[in-house]
Order: sequence, then C-alpha cells, then structure tokens
Amino acid sequence: MTVVGRGVAGALLVVLLLLSASVQSQERGVTPTEVVIGTSQPLTGPASFWGIPVTGGMDAYVKLANEGGGINGRKIRLVALDDGYQPTRAVANVRELVESTGVFAIVGLLGSANAFAVRDYMVEKKVIWINPLADASMWTGFKGKQYLFVTYVSYTDEGRLLTEYAAKTLGMTTFAVFYQNDLFGKKGLTGVKRGADATKTRIVATVPYEVTDRDYSGHAVKLRESKADAVVLYSTPTAAAQVVKEMAKIGYRPRLISTSALADPAMFALAGEAWNDVILAAYFPLPGTDSKVDEVVATIAKGNPALARAPINAVAGVSFVEPFLEGLRRTGPTLTRDKFVAAMETIKNWDGDVVRGVTFGPDRRHGVTRIYIVKTEGGQFKRLTPDIAYPVGF
Amino acid sequence: MDLQERYADDLVLVRSTGGRVALGVLVAALVLLPVGASGYLIYTASVVAAYAVIAVGLSLLVGTAGLISLGHAGFVAIGAYAAGLLAAKLHLFWPAAIVGGGITAAAFGYLVGLPALRLTGPYLTIATLGFGIAVQQVLSNWEQLSGGRNGLFLPKLTLGSWQLTDRHIYYVAMGTLALLVWVAYNLLRSYVGRALVAMRDSDIAAEVMGVNLTTYKTLAFALSAFYAGVGGALLALILGFLEPQLFTLSESIYYFSMIVVGGLGTIPGAVLGAALLTLLPQQLAQTRSWLPIIYGSILIFVMAVDPLGLFGRWMKIRLWFKAWPF
Amino acid sequence: MELLAQYGVVGLATGSLYALVALGIVLLYRTSRVLNFAHGDLATFATFICYTFLTQLRVPFGVAVVATFAAAVVIGAGFYFLILRPARETTLLGRVIITLGFALVLNGVAIQLWGADVRPFPFPLSDARVYHLGGVVISQISLGTTAAALALMAALYGLVQHTRVGLAMRAVSQHLIAAQVLGIPARRIFVLTWGLAAMLGAAAGILLAPTALLDPFMMLDPFLKGFSAAVLGGIDSMPGAVIGGLLLGLLEALFGGYVSVQFKTTLAFGIIIAVLIVRPEGLLGREFKRRV
Repeated sequence: MTVVGRGVAGALLVVLLLLSASVQSQERGVTPTEVVIGTSQPLTGPASFWGIPVTGGMDAYVKLANEGGGINGRKIRLVALDDGYQPTRAVANVRELVESTGVFAIVGLLGSANAFAVRDYMVEKKVIWINPLADASMWTGFKGKQYLFVTYVSYTDEGRLLTEYAAKTLGMTTFAVFYQNDLFGKKGLTGVKRGADATKTRIVATVPYEVTDRDYSGHAVKLRESKADAVVLYSTPTAAAQVVKEMAKIGYRPRLISTSALADPAMFALAGEAWNDVILAAYFPLPGTDSKVDEVVATIAKGNPALARAPINAVAGVSFVEPFLEGLRRTGPTLTRDKFVAAMETIKNWDGDVVRGVTFGPDRRHGVTRIYIVKTEGGQFKRLTPDIAYPVGF
Repeated sequence: MDLQERYADDLVLVRSTGGRVALGVLVAALVLLPVGASGYLIYTASVVAAYAVIAVGLSLLVGTAGLISLGHAGFVAIGAYAAGLLAAKLHLFWPAAIVGGGITAAAFGYLVGLPALRLTGPYLTIATLGFGIAVQQVLSNWEQLSGGRNGLFLPKLTLGSWQLTDRHIYYVAMGTLALLVWVAYNLLRSYVGRALVAMRDSDIAAEVMGVNLTTYKTLAFALSAFYAGVGGALLALILGFLEPQLFTLSESIYYFSMIVVGGLGTIPGAVLGAALLTLLPQQLAQTRSWLPIIYGSILIFVMAVDPLGLFGRWMKIRLWFKAWPF
Repeated sequence: MELLAQYGVVGLATGSLYALVALGIVLLYRTSRVLNFAHGDLATFATFICYTFLTQLRVPFGVAVVATFAAAVVIGAGFYFLILRPARETTLLGRVIITLGFALVLNGVAIQLWGADVRPFPFPLSDARVYHLGGVVISQISLGTTAAALALMAALYGLVQHTRVGLAMRAVSQHLIAAQVLGIPARRIFVLTWGLAAMLGAAAGILLAPTALLDPFMMLDPFLKGFSAAVLGGIDSMPGAVIGGLLLGLLEALFGGYVSVQFKTTLAFGIIIAVLIVRPEGLLGREFKRRV
C-alpha cells in the first residue's frame, strides 16, 4: 500500500468515528418520565469563570426540582456542553443537542456571537429557546420568535435608564463610558447615548477595553482626563475592579454607575474600598437583599460548594432556567412544544424564587422589562428606586 | 518500502490494488455520508473538512518546508472574511468567493513570506505570532470592513435562484478537501516538494545547490496561506456568520496541535489530526474541564516521545506486520 | 506636560513588569535556545501557589514568597530535566511545541485546582495610598512593584556579570560544546537557568497580581507583551530585555493616551513586526549567525 493507502485507512477510521457520533438518538426530549434540556456554555477557556457557575446554578436548581419529585411526574435532565466561547463549537453543540441527544428545549447559551450563529438554525428546527444569554434587544424586530422566551435584560434600555436616573436624580451633567469592546459593552454604550440625549447631558469620553487587557492604568488616565462627573461601567468584574482601583490611585473619584452584570458581591473583595456608593442596576433581587434568593443560594451551594464563591452567577443560572420549569408546570402532563408555548403565554406577573414579575403573551416574548436601581454601601446593596419599566421590545 | 522499477511507479498515487480498493471504499463512504445522516453529522463532517484543509496547508509550511507559523489563524481569518465579503457585498457565487478568499490569503502569505527571508528560527515564530494577533485585532476594530464585534452575516449557498442545503455545503467542503489534498500530494512529489524539503533540511546548502530561497520561501507561505484561506472560506460558508472571536491565538495553537498529533509533515497525518481534534472534544462530554490538560499532555508526549505522531504510529504498525516474523 | 508625565510614569511602571517577564524569556533563550511559551502559565501557577500560602496557610508574606520561589524552581527545573532534556525531537519547532503543551497542562491544572474565577491578591503594600510627585500621582503599590522589579533585575545582572556561576552561564550560552570541553557542568547550568527563569516568572506574577487580580488567564496578555519586549530589545540580550520592556510600556501608555485606546494592543504586535522587518536582532541583540 502507498502513502495514499495508509491515509485512506486512517480516514476510514475517521468516518467510523463520525458515524458513531450519530448513533445515539432519542425522541425529541420527552418521555413519560423525563424531559431533556440542553445548554451550551463556555466551560473551558477565559469565559469559563462565567460559564461554570451559571451552569452549576442551573444544574443545582434542576436537581432541586427533581428531588421534589420532578414536574408532572417527569424528571428534568440537563445536558451541558462546552463550547469554549467559540461559535463553531456552539453551533456543533446545538446541533448535537437537537439532533443527536434530542432535547426538548435549549436554555441559555452564552454570547451574542454564539447566539447569532445558532439563531437561524433554532428557528428552522423550531427549538424552544429559553434565555439566550445575550443583550435582549437583539431580538427586537427578529422574525421567528414563536419558540423564544427571554427574561434576560436589555443592556440598551438598562444603559438608558441608568443614565437618565443619574442625570435627573443625581444631577450628573457629564458622563464617561468605560466599556468592553464587544456587543455587550457597545449595546450598553448605545443605551447611555440615548439616555444622555434624552436628558440633554453629554458623553465626554468613551474608553473601550479588550477582555484580555490586564493593565488599566492608561484607561484610568484617559477617564480622568475627561473630568466627567460620572463614569458608566459596562464591563466584567475583573476589568471594572481594576479600572476603579486605578482611577482611585490617580486621585479621580467620579460617581460610578454600573450595569447589572457588576451587581456581584465579589466586587467588594475585588475593588475594595473604591466600590462604595456605586449606583447599579438590577433586574432580580440580589443575594443578601432577599430571603428567598438567599435560601436558594444556600441550598444549591450545599451540593456544590464552589457556587458559594460566585453567588451572583449561580443565582443568574437559576433565573435562566426558572421560567422554563414554570412553563413545564403549567403545561400539565401532556407535553408538546405548542402546548408548552401556550402555557408560557399564560404567565402574567409571576414571581419565581429568583426572577420576579415575569409576563409573557402571544405578542410578548420579553418577560422582564424592568430594572431597579441600588447602590453599594458598606459591602451591602441598598435599594434606591422602585421598579422602572422600559418599553417591551418584542 | 516497495520495489519500484520505473519512474512512473514513483509518480503514481495509489500503488497496490489493496490501496485502490481502500480508496474506493473511502470515497464511496464520504459521498454517501449525507444520505440518511443527521444534520449534526453533516455539519461536523463539513467542519472537519474545512479544518483538514487548513491543517494540510499548515503541514506543507511547517512539516515540509520547515518554516514555523504560529499565526495561521490570521490567514484563515483573511480568507474567511474575504470570501464572506465577496459573497455578501458583491454577491459572488460562493465557490468563486472561496477561491477569492484563498487568493487574498495567499497574497498576504506572500507579504508575510518576504520578511521571512531574513528571519529564522525564533524570529520567524514570533513574527508570525504577531501577525496572527494583529489580524485579529484589526478585524475586531475595523468595523466598516468586518462588522467588528457585531459579526458579519453571510448569505446562504445559492446556485442561480436555487437555495442549496447543508448537504450541498458538505459536498463543496469535501470536494474542496479532496481536490486540495490531491494537489498537495502532487506538489510534494514534484520538484517543488523536493525544493521545500531541501530548504527545510538546510536552507543555505539548498541555495548553494540552486534552490532559489526567495522563490520557495514566499511560495511556501503563499501556498500554505492559500489553503488556510480556502479553509477559512469554507468555515464561513458552513457557519453563515463570522466574528473575530473565531480566529484567536488559541485557534492558531489548535491548528498546530492538529498537525503535531497526526504526524508532522505528512498529509494523511494532517487530515487525521484535524478530524481527531475536532471530533474527540465533542465526544468526550464528561471530561470537558480536563481537555486542556489532555491536549497539552498529548503535545508534550508526541514531541518528546514519538515525533512521528499518530500517523507515524500507524506506519510503524504496518511496517511491523510487513516485516513479520523478524 | 503634567499629563505626559503621568502617562510616562504609568508606562514605566507597567514597562518594568514587562521587562521582568522579558528577562525570564531572554534568559532561557540565551542559554538553552528555547522559546519558552509556558513562561506565562508557569508564572500564573506560581502566583496561585503563593496565594494558597497567603490565604489558606496564612504564612507571612516574606515566607510565602520564598516558598513560592522554591516551588517555581522545582517546577521549572523539573520540566527541563524530566521532559525537555530527554525529548526526542530537538529542533526549535519541537521544543516550542513541548513548551506550548506544558503551558496548556499548567493552565488546565490551575483551573482544576483553583477554579476559573477571579480573586483579589493580598499584598503588603496598599493601593489606596498615593504619593504626589509634582503633579504626577503614583500609588504605593506601583512604586513598590517597580522598585522590586528593578531590584530583581539588578540582582540578576550582578549574578550574571559578577559571579562564577554567571560566568559559567555566559560561557554555556556562547558556545555549549566549548564550555563543556572546558569542564563546565552544562547540565547543572541548564537546570539552574530554568529554575532561575521560573523564579523570575513567579516574581513577575506576584508583582502583577495585586493590580491585575488573580485568575488562570492573568498572564496571557503580559506574557505576550513581555515577548514583544524581548524581541524589541533583542532576544539574546538581557539589558535589551529590560530596555525593551520599559520602552514598550512607555510607548503603549503614550499611544493609548494620545492616539487610540482601542488599538493599544495592536501596537505591541505592530512593534514586533516592524522590529523584525527592520532589525530582527532587536535594539541590543547580536546578529543571529548560523553555520551550514
């Protein structure tokens, strides 16, 4: 045999591997005793600090439901696949979940890039999708939301409301925006711009950063240069903590306004004394402010102690899967996709353990369109406003 | 290993009947794959084909010509975005866009190859590393060109007014892989291949013997970049969506791992490595967090213990059987 | 003018840490002719070990640092002795791949042992205390880490230029076989160099962690920047590494401040490419001559 022959034999092995990949197939996710749901998260790589606790939270909450006997006689099985934050793998995972594992619904899926990549496929295959973890305003105007249900926040609206609050109630006149150089940050920036326009205030500096940046001293100097009254933060905890500390070092202490993504108790440890009197948005009760949420954290941390280190992400994970479980409850024993959708549409102003005031409807797929504002004080969150609603986009 | 009596014997790609039968079976299997297979399988196979094209190109550069490139994701990105923009903005027929992507990447390969003439060893490694990262940075920030972090949505494959499906995309991908592998094999058996190998073993000596280094170094880069560009274009076609996140330094290292694991410098090794490193992670669901450790250990193991990689292992096994009972 | 000075100070502080990373890389390249891609992950791993000493075992800072250095030396030298030296594939490419593999393994093990989330790193200097020097503000921590980095570099210089061990190291890096012929125990020198480089990496990690916050990917960016700095200064020149690091830090800060924050990282890689095209041996390096 020749070089080619050897290559051929090797490749045959590969074909066999490929075929083995499609051997396991089931009915699309529903049996009399089980419902299968899937998620694709970054469980390895730089985004895993988010993906691991979120998946942990989802998994723990599902286990909790199963311990109570399941829902309508069915246990829920969560299949979590790792995509390392890569769109090619996210697409592969979703296809595997839908076609190979056979899931009834996909819950979560982190990243706008990944969400965009799988969007059309999800619509084509009519897959129930609960809470893609990307800025919610990406769905406004999108056709094909029949099977989509979102309780995740819209960063554009959040940014706008935060800015308006800061301008009207706190009297800020100039803003500088520190944002992550991707869709998350940019949508926040768009929101802040809209808020500034609406209140006739000015944005005097926009300072982007890359997720891999480790040195924020330059960014801090730039922000100080702008002499803004307030700095709006649309970033990850690491970046925010660093830039806040750097700003404090060079003697710049503006009012800090921040996205809900930073309403993380870990920020107190990371940013230290600089993280006091910070204005934050939130769209569900934060750990330490609500007994039900704290109970949930305690229960899920029992089975998985690592979750106690990242309570906000674990709680977020719970909030993503909660609406799905409620939908299951309301559908009753016969479970089909359309019955599920109909059941979800009956949810009006529902309070779950974590997520509150969820409303869906035949024309409404964005379940939570409110935020409220808190501020940090002595290592705790103090609520400042009642819920502020924003227009329902979809 | 086999006795050859004529030059023609050396040139022929498949020698024995056994080899011809195996090749026939493989071709049949690959052609028939989409029949009755799930969309997931077709998608995975298409992605494997795209990565295999990239791996073969990288193998030509690193294994055959001996030039290191740690920034190959840059060429892949250029090919992908070029093809995507050609298809989206100029409404070019996709296969033509793929070729366009390859050619654009090859042009950049040539440009990178020029300074490579002066750079050796560690400097070349670092230069290519820098190139790869710079490409990704530029694509992330130059929004008018690439859509930046918003990503770029690409049109589907169409033939005239006929919309084609995943199956057709699979055939395009596999067909491209087959064609490019065939070209690579022929290249290696020709004087070009011999010149590249001479360059790898000792470039100064090769030049003394008449191998024009300028031509062959830039050719090696351009060729390898062409393959990378075509692979990237295929990825763009399969995914329908592009984002700079797809082309990071980790991806460059990933391509590298493919050719190392399969067997450095061999084409079947490159294809095998690509297939294995794409399929194995999907299959090993439980050991997800151990994956980097496993990858790393495999790289160390292969280089430290068996540089010929998986393909080398296979060759040794075959040789053992052939030489039995001695 | 004040703003320029502020950027300058900030740039030099960061630059001194890049220089420390670059030194580790250059040290290894000079002696073993290996591009160590595992340097960043080794530094991170060592920093995590220090973190464990400080938070879980609650030892004083000085003790923790010494213990960490010891651990780093063991890991670095161990890697050289057990994996790199007996490796079959001794080409540059092969060794690069081995170090890449080692980097992945270290990263993976770090995530397994400590998780992927971010933690604050306890450091004896405070970053809330600031000093004002003529309009320029610098924090206690910045001052401290810059001073520590410069001190380490000076110590390394002293070791290499003024001790017998340093002389042996220089001999080995100049011409391995000649040094061996002269009776210098090359293997021991290699083990020593790897241990030393690992220690430098650990130091860089510990000095970076208070500001950069500790997580398994902490050193990814600083390592790449350190690499650029090494190339800029000359990959076989130690003073070059220092100058390259300081220069890179400075240029980056000024570029980010006056031109574009977005393209700051691109600048670092643009510099590498420019240097490699114009003068591959860097500012202070010697031309790479090969024999056929």
